[in-house]
Amino acid sequence: MGLTGALALLAALLVLAALWWRSERERRRLRDRLVSASRELQNLQTSFARFAPEEIVERVIATGVETHGERKEVTALFADIVGYTALAESVEPTVLVRILNGYFERMSRAVTDHRGHVSTFVGDGVLALFGAFEPNPWQANDAVHSALAMRREVADYSRELGARGLPRLAIGVGLHRGSGVAGLVGSRDLMQYAFVGRTVNVASRVQDLTRVHGVDILLTGAVRETLDPRFRLRPLPPAELRGVARPVPLFAVEGHPDG
Amino acid sequence: MAGLSGIEWGECVVPPRRDPELEDWAARELGTRLDLVPYLAHTPWQVRALVSHAFERGLFVHLHQELAELVWLAVSQDNSCRYCYDTHRALLRLTGIPEARMRRLEEQGFTADLDLPTRRACDFGRRLSRCNPPPDAEDVAGLREAGLSDGAVREIAWVASYAVAGNRISTLPALPPEPHEDMPERWTVRLLAPLVARRVRGRFRRGRPETQAAESLEGPYAFVVRLFEGLPTARVTREGIDDALASPILPARTKWLVCAVVARALGCARSESEAKRLLAAEGLAGEEVEGILRHLASPKLDRVETLAVPFARETVWYQTAQIQRKARELAKQISPAEFMELAGMAGVANRLCRLGALADALSWA
Repeated sequence: MGLTGALALLAALLVLAALWWRSERERRRLRDRLVSASRELQNLQTSFARFAPEEIVERVIATGVETHGERKEVTALFADIVGYTALAESVEPTVLVRILNGYFERMSRAVTDHRGHVSTFVGDGVLALFGAFEPNPWQANDAVHSALAMRREVADYSRELGARGLPRLAIGVGLHRGSGVAGLVGSRDLMQYAFVGRTVNVASRVQDLTRVHGVDILLTGAVRETLDPRFRLRPLPPAELRGVARPVPLFAVEGHPDG
Repeated sequence: MAGLSGIEWGECVVPPRRDPELEDWAARELGTRLDLVPYLAHTPWQVRALVSHAFERGLFVHLHQELAELVWLAVSQDNSCRYCYDTHRALLRLTGIPEARMRRLEEQGFTADLDLPTRRACDFGRRLSRCNPPPDAEDVAGLREAGLSDGAVREIAWVASYAVAGNRISTLPALPPEPHEDMPERWTVRLLAPLVARRVRGRFRRGRPETQAAESLEGPYAFVVRLFEGLPTARVTREGIDDALASPILPARTKWLVCAVVARALGCARSESEAKRLLAAEGLAGEEVEGILRHLASPKLDRVETLAVPFARETVWYQTAQIQRKARELAKQISPAEFMELAGMAGVANRLCRLGALADALSWA
């Protein structure tokens, strides 16, 4: 091979090397983008998993939002602050937000420590569901233990608030058990994993009745049916509730030997 | 460091128990000395199960080692079991899987960068582990479409269920991660990587189908053992259950109560019915058992059962930090041997009842 041939070969090799380097750089760039997208997806998945069962999360990611639901039996717990309107008007907004955040933190802990999940915060209200993510034959016990934990948490928190010269809190909690449909509901812009059915409405109305009866925790006969008999309950007159054909048996929760 | 080293992992709640003879035997059988053996040594049956269930000992007729290990990893990642995940990850790296590939697999949750059969096998394993609901006929059809035989599907179910048990046995006491989990990164290992990989891969033996007399598979939870009839995994599963039952640390009644609670939580009627049958043989039947299962409490329970029954329920679905907190509280109230026996039995119960739920869902047995 003469000098010309050698130079031509060298030039060809240089061109090939340049092409290879360019392709390698592009490949690395695409790979980095894929890795970054994967990480974002994973973070999203982890965050979303706090609001919906893992199976739902994976299905949404793999195939998009599903529109069918599943029929489930759950125990719904509704809690809110007694005298919230007066509280909101008596403190500065930033102080109110701090009080509420401390309250929600404690309420959430009382729910998750007892195998429930917080479905939503509405104003000062907390809706928690037991048995919505995973089947739970002991959901009634868990829900009532959670309500008792909320009672303890609010008492502790109120002592703290009182020591700082802030208003103390009191809560009302209503519990009901029943069936309904769980799934992703909402519009294209805002969706949530929710439980739809009369059960949540009844729990909310029972929670309203805590003011009427002067108690902090009320449950219905449906919850009592599967409840550990060691819970100390006080029967109250059955209540006529809107949308429910027959009067609903009610019980005030006084305590449990284990706290 | 890679793997699950970022997962919050508590201090081990039991002290190691030195048994040089048992440790030496396990080291000979496994070809390496594992630091978890002294912790399992409180319950020698768990050391024996660790050896008999080792993947390289001719267990699998249909699966190759990499697929089995990846199913194990997918389930362990899902259960956030730092011990199981990091140990098997190190092993896979020693077989020659590059770190870059390992990280890609992890970042994508074992859903990509895998061939179709392996991807579907990992999905199947995860679904069995979550059991909410268990895998169904569509999942099995997906595995068959990917080219996996019926025997391979059953062996995948076996691996996933064994991971379910192993994750609990490691997570509940918070077993200390093996010091050699970073072995693949040592410069000596990297220098000799091809030789190390050859040696590690060379220890894996394929199993052979076995002729098993029907009565050899009989006993507690026989309907689960028979899922693997004709495969070495049937024999190993039968022996493991019987060895656990024979351990004198906790009575049989306590063990079947753990199974009954787990079965009730998972909603597996057949597994629950089997546990009740076994409890009846121990003198606990009918309304007494129903009363215990209804509220996870009863004046008829002894000191350990009063703690074990509600704790068993916690082991079905859990967050690592939360279950380890509860385990720590439990460990303060019972002996290390009782704790490890209970942890082992919780692992066994979760394994058997998930397989039971699978068998029901697929009408396999």
